[in-house]
Amino acid sequence: MLDWFDAYTGTVLNGLALAAVLFVIAVGLSLVFGTMDVLNLAHGSVSLVGAYVGVAMVGDSASIAAFVAAVLVASAIGLVLGGVLAAMTAKVSGHLRQALLTLGVALIAGDVLAEVFGSDVKRVRAPEGLDGSTEVLGTPYPVYRLVMVGVGLAVAVLLYLVLERTRLGAIVRATVADRDMVEAVGIRTTLVLGGVFAGGAALAAAGGLLAAPVLGAQPGLDDTILLLALVVIVIGGLGSLRGALLGAVLVGQVQVLGVALLPELASFMLFGAMGLVLLLRPAGLLPAPGRRA
Amino acid sequence: MRIRPSIVKQLGRRASLVPAAVAVALVLASCGGSSVSGGGDDDGGGGDEGAALDPVKIGLLVPLSGVYAALGEDMQQGFQLYLDENDGKLGGAEVEVVEADEGESPGTGVPAATRLVTQDQVDAVAGIVSSAVALGVKDLFVESKVPLVVANAGANDVTAGGSPYIWRSSFTNGGVAAALGAYVAEQVGDGSVYLISADYAAGAESTGGFKETFEAAGGTIAGEAFTPFGTTTDWQPYLQGIRASGASAVYTFYAGAEAVGFTTQYNQFGLKGEIPLYAAGFLTEGGVLEASGEAALGIQNSLHYSDQIDSERNNAFVEAYVAAYDEVPTTYAVQAYDAAAALGLAIEAAGATDSESIAQGLSEVGEIDSPRGTFSFDENHDPVQPYYLREVQEVDGVLANVVLQELEQ
Amino acid sequence: MSADVQEVTAPLVGGSRRRPAWRLLAAGVVVVVLALLPLMLAAYPIGLMSRILAFALLVLSVDLLTGVTGLPTLGQVAYFGTGAYTAGLVGVHVTSNAPAQLVAGTLAAALVALVTGAVVVRTSGIVFLMVTLAVGELAHQAVDSLAFTGGTNGLVGIPPITLLPGGEPLLLSGFVYWWVLVVFLLGAAVAAVVVASPLGRSMRGVRDGETRLRALGQETYPVKLSAFVVAGALAGAAGTAWVAQARFISPGDLAFDVSAFALLAVVLGGAGSLWGPVLGAAVVIVARDELSSYVGGLGSMLLGAIFVVAVYLLPRGIAGVARVRRPAWTRSRGTA
Repeated sequence: MLDWFDAYTGTVLNGLALAAVLFVIAVGLSLVFGTMDVLNLAHGSVSLVGAYVGVAMVGDSASIAAFVAAVLVASAIGLVLGGVLAAMTAKVSGHLRQALLTLGVALIAGDVLAEVFGSDVKRVRAPEGLDGSTEVLGTPYPVYRLVMVGVGLAVAVLLYLVLERTRLGAIVRATVADRDMVEAVGIRTTLVLGGVFAGGAALAAAGGLLAAPVLGAQPGLDDTILLLALVVIVIGGLGSLRGALLGAVLVGQVQVLGVALLPELASFMLFGAMGLVLLLRPAGLLPAPGRRA
Repeated sequence: MRIRPSIVKQLGRRASLVPAAVAVALVLASCGGSSVSGGGDDDGGGGDEGAALDPVKIGLLVPLSGVYAALGEDMQQGFQLYLDENDGKLGGAEVEVVEADEGESPGTGVPAATRLVTQDQVDAVAGIVSSAVALGVKDLFVESKVPLVVANAGANDVTAGGSPYIWRSSFTNGGVAAALGAYVAEQVGDGSVYLISADYAAGAESTGGFKETFEAAGGTIAGEAFTPFGTTTDWQPYLQGIRASGASAVYTFYAGAEAVGFTTQYNQFGLKGEIPLYAAGFLTEGGVLEASGEAALGIQNSLHYSDQIDSERNNAFVEAYVAAYDEVPTTYAVQAYDAAAALGLAIEAAGATDSESIAQGLSEVGEIDSPRGTFSFDENHDPVQPYYLREVQEVDGVLANVVLQELEQ
Repeated sequence: MSADVQEVTAPLVGGSRRRPAWRLLAAGVVVVVLALLPLMLAAYPIGLMSRILAFALLVLSVDLLTGVTGLPTLGQVAYFGTGAYTAGLVGVHVTSNAPAQLVAGTLAAALVALVTGAVVVRTSGIVFLMVTLAVGELAHQAVDSLAFTGGTNGLVGIPPITLLPGGEPLLLSGFVYWWVLVVFLLGAAVAAVVVASPLGRSMRGVRDGETRLRALGQETYPVKLSAFVVAGALAGAAGTAWVAQARFISPGDLAFDVSAFALLAVVLGGAGSLWGPVLGAAVVIVARDELSSYVGGLGSMLLGAIFVVAVYLLPRGIAGVARVRRPAWTRSRGTA
């Protein structure tokens, strides 16, 4: 038993580290869908922008302070991009047209990033002091990944507090459950929605930068991240924080443990798992209260 | 300003005709004869035996977009350097280069190659990074009787069949790996080696090639693992497996982003100091080496080129390349440079610039004096060339692949 | 989700009981022009047209599900791939006879569609979209890993097609184009017939209000499954046509972006109208593959720009705009 733990601790931790960044990236997509019913296929591109901010500001080496500064810059840029996307999708109704619009934006963004940064894979180093290894249950393990898990947890707790304990959070939850009612009470839901969009995008960009020391930055990563985020929020349940967290943990573990335990079936596990969950629980595992499937 | 709906409708009405008109216009614009009359292959260069050679049209099929674009750029630069050194001529004939974007996959590569051959009617084509694309277009070149000099794609099957029109100035996946087998067997003595690579043809061919010569030299394999191609970001479970196997060394093949990921994590999870890593040189070539950083230090790898080769020919080449492009040449640049050299020699040998003559000329080329050493084509039209044992070291503050020795084959 | 599919659907006039003569005439003219193209165009543009037609048939299959039945799908590549790989494998191992490959590929795809559809059509809306995405990706992974499909490198060595048993292989691109055109027209005809049939009416009923339809006593599951199988068969036929002209198929042809572009071609062209998505398919192929070199390799950016502009200027897609022209009294009552 202990042997198994020894062998697989690292794997499980990797799954949690991946889950952490997936959560940070995907929660915005989920909340945007929950509040605005908008399908934003440009979400992966926003993450990639965050990763490239890391390339530009951090690149080969940076102190912790510089890294944090880069995260803040990425979040700010994400905030702006989110606002722009919110404005663009405001008058566009229907998931298909939103898909057309946001995918168009994603295609443009992808080419622009490739033009500016080149199509090589770019490396972002973990900040100095956090780029070493430490012992976890006897085997070396990168410190930075533990940091990822920590940051993911912190973001989850923070979001929980905001959503459950503040007035703003209550408004957002109410908008997810019943938008017309909130409008009727006199609150400008367009501002709420714009804010959610911008906040979600900020998280996506920050998440992209956080993941960069592991995933790197290169063209095509936006597609990968988008697909993973979609799987996370669909499995977890659209519009819900806890759903995004559960979805992220599940996806992280499937990706990592699945590969370790059943290598031949590794490629099929993720989408097979998603298909299975959807067929049994179409609304996801922890959908937001008040939402229909 | 609110746009009136009726204007939008009018714009939209006209807009609906635009895509149809554009499609028709584009299609008609390339109107040029019928596609049902037989054979239409009319190429410019005639079979002149006289002094003046007709200009030759060469298609350069490399990735200009997508994940391989960096390699495509290197190949463009290498090819161009040869032309610049020879007055813009190949074998004395003026050259017109037509570029086409191979993209990332056969979906873009095959139509691009088709356009070069049927529309632009080039006399020969050089390039191709992806083996999938090379395999997909092979029939096109054989059937259209247009010579192709593959300047990268390493799949063993690309040159299978020995068609007079398919040539390769780069390498075979198996060949690069096989060069290391005997050396590593010597290094590990009684120990065993673990093989790990990506689950696609190149990975299988590379580990297969290594295994053959390694086992022939008396080595034992501790285990094998193939990671899902293109989607693996986490090697930890496999690294765990390597540790558990008790192997004394690891052989690997990875390229591109996966190479960076693997090298970095091999270091991060503590294997680097414990278990020596041997690789096919693509693990530490070009942009990949830069991105991997110090995690790559000390990795011994085999490749048919290094910018650190200390020969007169290579030193001159590196100097010229650096002067022209402000960066050190990679093997991809040399492969394209040599493709140009081969074409030039072929045209010179044949004394003509049409496709048939170039194909014939390529078989008469003999030895080519390349920055990598001298090489020639074997009966499959693959290069017979030296392979070097390289080690990643810091040279003048920059990471480079220092040549330790030439590997015995 | 049915509600927002309605928004982009160009309203089909009440089951097309009335088929104005001019529409049939227009269709006839288009067919004649398409048939004459090989006599006017060189080899490369005709190859491009072949690719457009094969892709357009795939897009038609997506339209049948998304535009007509209200089931937005990202999984038709699975059946496209089934048809293509089957045709390719038949070509390599059995026969290069094109009709045989067409039949084999279409049947294989229809079978796979039946098996997967039985489970998949129990869902709807966004869930349906994601489940079909999963199916598409699983198919992509499958052909990537299996050895007999050639793995990552794809299936090579597919011989040129022949039309008659023991006949001459079709090497000239003009002749291949004619075969692809025949397959496309057959597929389009099947689609049009289905849409005009009682099944088609039920499909539109599912799109416009499934609960209403069930309340009227109609079982919707068989309707959706039938639509799914027909669409799968059409996608399979498209796959065989693609292989006939490319003589090569690889996992990249089943990637996520092919599904995405097919769906978006439908939206661009006007979901539900059949001919609009065909134009949408042409725009996607031309912009992404052909115009790329004219804009310095930034074909994706161009296509993205086209999408963005289309959303604002063409709210009902290309076909939707044509509807606006017709005076109100010719439109049937009750459509949006």
